[in-house]
Amino acid sequence: MTEMAWYQWMALAALGFCLGTCLFHFFRLIKLGKPVDYSNPAGSIAQGVKYAFTGAMDPRRKESAWLHLPTYTAGLFYHSGTFLSILLFFFIVSGNVPQGWFAMVTSTILFISVFSGIFILVKRIFKKELRSLSNPDDYISNTLVTLFQLMTLLIILLPLLPSYSLTVLPSYRPIVLPSYYLIFTLLMLYLPLGKLRHVVYFFAARYHLGNFYGRRGVWPQRGIKAEDR
Amino acid sequence: MNGLTEGQKRKALEVFENFSDSKLLTHLNSCVHCGLCAESCMYYQVYKDAHYVPAKKVDLVSSIYRRYNTLSGKLVPWLTGARDLDAKTLEEMIDLFYGSCTICGRCTMHCSIGVDIGYLVRTGRAILASMGFVPATLQSTVDAAINTGNNMAISEQDFIDTLKWLEEDLQFEVNDDKAEIPLNVPGKDIMYTLNPREPKFFPLSIAAMAKIFYAAGESWTLSTRMYDVTNYGYFSGNIQEATSIARRLYDEMDHLQARRCVLAECGHGTRAFRWEAPNYLGRSFPFDVITSVELLAEYIRQGRIKVDPAKIPEKVTLHDPCNLVRSGGVIEMQRYILRKCVSDFVEMTPHGTDNFCCGGGGGQLAMSEYNERRMKITGLKAEQIKNTGATIVCTPCHNCVDQLIQTNAAYKLGVKIMTLAEIVADALIINNETLKP
Repeated sequence: MTEMAWYQWMALAALGFCLGTCLFHFFRLIKLGKPVDYSNPAGSIAQGVKYAFTGAMDPRRKESAWLHLPTYTAGLFYHSGTFLSILLFFFIVSGNVPQGWFAMVTSTILFISVFSGIFILVKRIFKKELRSLSNPDDYISNTLVTLFQLMTLLIILLPLLPSYSLTVLPSYRPIVLPSYYLIFTLLMLYLPLGKLRHVVYFFAARYHLGNFYGRRGVWPQRGIKAEDR
Repeated sequence: MNGLTEGQKRKALEVFENFSDSKLLTHLNSCVHCGLCAESCMYYQVYKDAHYVPAKKVDLVSSIYRRYNTLSGKLVPWLTGARDLDAKTLEEMIDLFYGSCTICGRCTMHCSIGVDIGYLVRTGRAILASMGFVPATLQSTVDAAINTGNNMAISEQDFIDTLKWLEEDLQFEVNDDKAEIPLNVPGKDIMYTLNPREPKFFPLSIAAMAKIFYAAGESWTLSTRMYDVTNYGYFSGNIQEATSIARRLYDEMDHLQARRCVLAECGHGTRAFRWEAPNYLGRSFPFDVITSVELLAEYIRQGRIKVDPAKIPEKVTLHDPCNLVRSGGVIEMQRYILRKCVSDFVEMTPHGTDNFCCGGGGGQLAMSEYNERRMKITGLKAEQIKNTGATIVCTPCHNCVDQLIQTNAAYKLGVKIMTLAEIVADALIINNETLKP
C-alpha cells in the first residue's frame, strides 16, 4: 500500500463520521427497544419478521413492485450498485483497483446501476406525483449516490481502455482520483442528514412490520386447510 | 385555524419527544419518497391526484418531526422539506389525516420500505386530537359513547325493549318458549357485544346471532350496561378517550365474569378491543377476546351447529373488512364459513389482505364533512362487486354493511348486503331435537 494522499484521508475520516452517526441511529433504536404489546398474540413474531424480509419482498406479492417493475428493477440494481461501490471503495483506497474479470463484472453491474440511478432521477424530475413529493434532499441524495457510482465505474473502467493507460492516464489521474474521493466524502458527510439514513431505518421498518403482522397472524399468510374447503 | 396557541403546539410536539419504543422513530425516518404506494390507495386510484399519494401523509407527519427534532430540520428546513406546525400545515393535516384516509393499511402492506403508513396517519390524528382539532362530527360520536355508553346514544330502556321483542321473535321462530336473549347474567361462557347500529338500525342481525347461540346451546349473555364494541376514540386519535371506552367494556367483562368476550362483526371494534385495548389499559386480559367470525367457524368445525348450503343458492361474494383482515389476521375463517353455508361463493378481485376498503373505514362514516369524497371512492368497491356477478355481498362488519348499503344505492348494484351471522342463521338447520330438547 502506497502512502495515502490527503483526499484519501479526508474520505476515510468522512466514512468514520458516517459510520459513527449511523451507529448512533442504530443504537438509539436498540435502546428504545421494541413495542411492549399486552394483547394475546395470534401468530408468531419470528415468522412474521422472517416473512417481512423474504416473502413480503417478493414482487409477485407486492403490488407496488409488480405495478412498477421497471422502477422496482432499477431500484434493485441501484441499491446493489451502491453497496458494491462502497465495497469497492476499500479495494480502491488500498490501491487494489479491480482488474481482469473482476473489473469486467463490477463495471458491468455499475454501468447498469448508474443507468438505473439516472432513470430514477429523471423519473423524479418528470413525473408529477413524484415531483410533488420531492424536496431538495431527494434530488441531492439521488445525484450524490449516482455520481459516486459513476466515479467508481470510471476508476475501474478507465485503466481497461487501451489508450487510457498509455496516454490519457497521466493527464486524467489528477482529476479523476481526487474527484472520486471528494464525491465519496460528500456522500458520507451527507448520508446521515437526509433520507439516505434509511440505510439504517429500512431494516428497522421491516422488523416492525414483521412484528406487527406476525403477532396478529397476518404474516406469513396461512392457507385454509384442504378438509375445510 | 390562525388561533394555534403555543400551548396547543407544545402539546402536539410532545408526541415526538418521548418515544416509548423504536416504532415511531423508525417509521418517521424511513420513507424515501419513491411514490410506489400511490396505486395502493383508493383515494389516489379514484382521484389520480398527487395530493392523495400515501407518502404525502407520511411526509406531513415526518416533516413536522424533522423541523423540531433533527439538526437539518432546525438549521436548513428547506433541504429536507421540514415544515413548521402552523395554520397552513394544520389545514392540510386535517384534510389528509381525517378527510382522505380510511386507515385501511393497504399502502402499508405494499410500501417498498415497510413504513407503517396507517400508524403514522393515526399519529397525525393524535397530534390533531391533542390540539382539539378532531372533526366535530367524529367527536360527537366519541362523546355519545362516553356520555351514554354507546355511540348511538340508545337508552338502556330502549335497548332492553328491542331485545325483548327480538326474544319473542326468536321464541316464535324456533318454536321454543324457553329460547332467550339473556341479559346481564353473570358467570356465562360468553359475553357478547354489539355494534350499536344493530339495535338502532339492524336488529335482525342480533336475532340472527341469538338464533345461532340457541342452536349451539351456548351459555351466553348480553350486557345492557356496556355492549358497544365500537371505539371511535381509536379513530379520532384521542387515546385517553379510546382508553376510557375500552375500560368500560373491560370492566363489564370483569363484572359479569364471563370466560370469553365475543366481539360482534365490527372491524375497527375488533382491532380496538382485541389488539389495542390491552395496550391502552397496560395489561393482558384475563379472559379470551375473540371475534364472532372465529366463534361461528368454531361452531361449524365442531359440529355444534349444522348448516345447509342449499338454503342459499344465490351467488355470494365477500367484502373483507380492513381491520379484521389486514390488521387482525382473521382472513380464512369467514371464507371457511361461507363455503359451508352458501352454494356459490365467489371472491372479489383483489381480496383478502389486498382487498380495498369499502370507503367507510377510519371513521369516514361518522364524518359527514367528507361524504362526497367517501361516496366517490366507494365506486372502486362498487366496481369490484359488479365484476363478481354476485347478488349477495357478505361482510363481517356493521360499519362496512352501512357503507355498502349506501354504495349499493348510489351505484345501483341491486345486491343484498348481509352480515356473516345473517348468512349462517339463514343456512342453519334447526331440527326438532334442537327445538324441543
